[in-house]
Amino acid sequence: MESQIREIHQLLVDQKISCTSLIQEKLATLKPNSHNTVNSLLEDLALEKAKKVDEKIKNGEKIGLLEGIPFGLKDVYMLQGTMTTASSEFLKSYKSAYTATAIQKLIDAGAIPIVKENGDSFGHGSSSENTIFGAVKNAFNKELVAGGSSGGSAVNVSKNYTVFSIGGDTGGSVRQPSGYNKVYGLKPTYGRISRYGLLAYASSTDCVGPIATSIEDLRIVLNTMSGKDVKDQTTYVSDEISEENISKNDTIKTIGYFKNFIENDAIDASIKSDFLTSIEKIKATGINVKALDFFDAETLISTYYTLAMAETASNLSRLDGTNYGNRMEGKNLKDSYSITRSENFSEETKRRIVGGNQVLSQGFADDIYLKALSIRDEISENFEKDFQEVDIIVSPVTPNSPPKIGDSLKNPLAMYLSDAYTVGFSLGQLPTLTIPQGTLTGVQLTAAKNNDDLLLKFANFLKEVI
Amino acid sequence: MSNLMTVDILSSIKGAKSSETISKLFEVIKNANISSNNFSSKNIQNAVSLEELRDDIVLESTEIEKKIIIENFPKEKNGYLVVSRVIEE
Repeated sequence: MESQIREIHQLLVDQKISCTSLIQEKLATLKPNSHNTVNSLLEDLALEKAKKVDEKIKNGEKIGLLEGIPFGLKDVYMLQGTMTTASSEFLKSYKSAYTATAIQKLIDAGAIPIVKENGDSFGHGSSSENTIFGAVKNAFNKELVAGGSSGGSAVNVSKNYTVFSIGGDTGGSVRQPSGYNKVYGLKPTYGRISRYGLLAYASSTDCVGPIATSIEDLRIVLNTMSGKDVKDQTTYVSDEISEENISKNDTIKTIGYFKNFIENDAIDASIKSDFLTSIEKIKATGINVKALDFFDAETLISTYYTLAMAETASNLSRLDGTNYGNRMEGKNLKDSYSITRSENFSEETKRRIVGGNQVLSQGFADDIYLKALSIRDEISENFEKDFQEVDIIVSPVTPNSPPKIGDSLKNPLAMYLSDAYTVGFSLGQLPTLTIPQGTLTGVQLTAAKNNDDLLLKFANFLKEVI
Repeated sequence: MSNLMTVDILSSIKGAKSSETISKLFEVIKNANISSNNFSSKNIQNAVSLEELRDDIVLESTEIEKKIIIENFPKEKNGYLVVSRVIEE
């Protein structure tokens, strides 16, 4: 199977390239920061690690598949001794005291982190414009947004500045920018990968998500990061996905798609027709296709944002400038808190914190917050029912093509609506994969919980089909 | 605590106001038709079982962790970490 990781591994083993030259080459492509993807480069750390890999190879020692492979990580992951800013004013000088479990697992396997990547601050955005490091530019057209919130990670992979990158997906933040920049982006089943050391946005949907140029690379990285972690008690034990398991489609017989995602006025005409063409091509292979009913986009968006705002208001309440962050002194403690928070949070983050506190307060909690939780229950039940009938749900990633830089900030509601096709699967905590095929912004594949392998298998099958 | 806290006080953000955009989202939830209003959480069970609770032990931070935590502290004076003035009301 096509795999950049395997190709580079072979070049290193055969000593056709050195790890140091590989890292230097990647750093050189990142340094001009042509697409505003870079928050900080990890030059010294990366070159030191590369030197050790070269010494091992020189000494005739065997190296692992990920050893010496350069990768990027969204600037929301803790990596001890490096700046972790969440692309925010608040944490612009914050240094990680420890390393996230998922990142540590990659490092233990020998992969080399080279860059902390730009995105919407605290994950609050779908365009990677809500950042102090400048709007991330789309890999194919610099006038367009990269998508978000993991925009820097998707662009770096698309431009081949990193071999793979680790984004974070709460409501579509890996899948949507992957679609906008034509790469593979996976949101695994919630709990498959530990969230320990990932700066929390909405804890009940936050997922660590790998972005890569091939299905095989995703498989390798996913296997490495997965597993139970005592530091994140929502994690579970999962089986390793073998290459053999995903190389042939012998199990997926029926797929479904949501009628209402397609039959509405909000979807771009070419995305709609390309999607329906893809469905016809899948049908032509003998796979059964079922049109399914689902919740309307407005309900999905409102449920997701209501719950995500409540969770982020709670998670970000710890940011008050007491122990870390950009503290601003007031006349007393309360005053210091509010000045610090007013001056350091972006408008979008403030909007979400205020909305979250509002929805959790007396008079709102029953009518809105608890009702949103009930709707989430119904969404999950709907999925359970659907996956008794179909193996995979196929959907577009976004209703529209990437907007121009500047447009999303002017119209937050339009930005929220751009998440219409991704947030439902987040609420269901289901594994969902963006593949760079089928429509201008790709196609999403979703399976039942813990069936992440089915996504990779079907994506592999679709390579030749659509 | 007063039951009539405004959103700026609730959020510790000076001058914070509720947003029209967000209010529209809330209206959708208010008006949504659902079969049951009883949140059961049966499909979103992330709680860990009692048998799997981790041991309640204190883990000592490493020297480097302690050093960085101190480095991140916003203010230091004569070797002490300085917090904001406490509330006097």
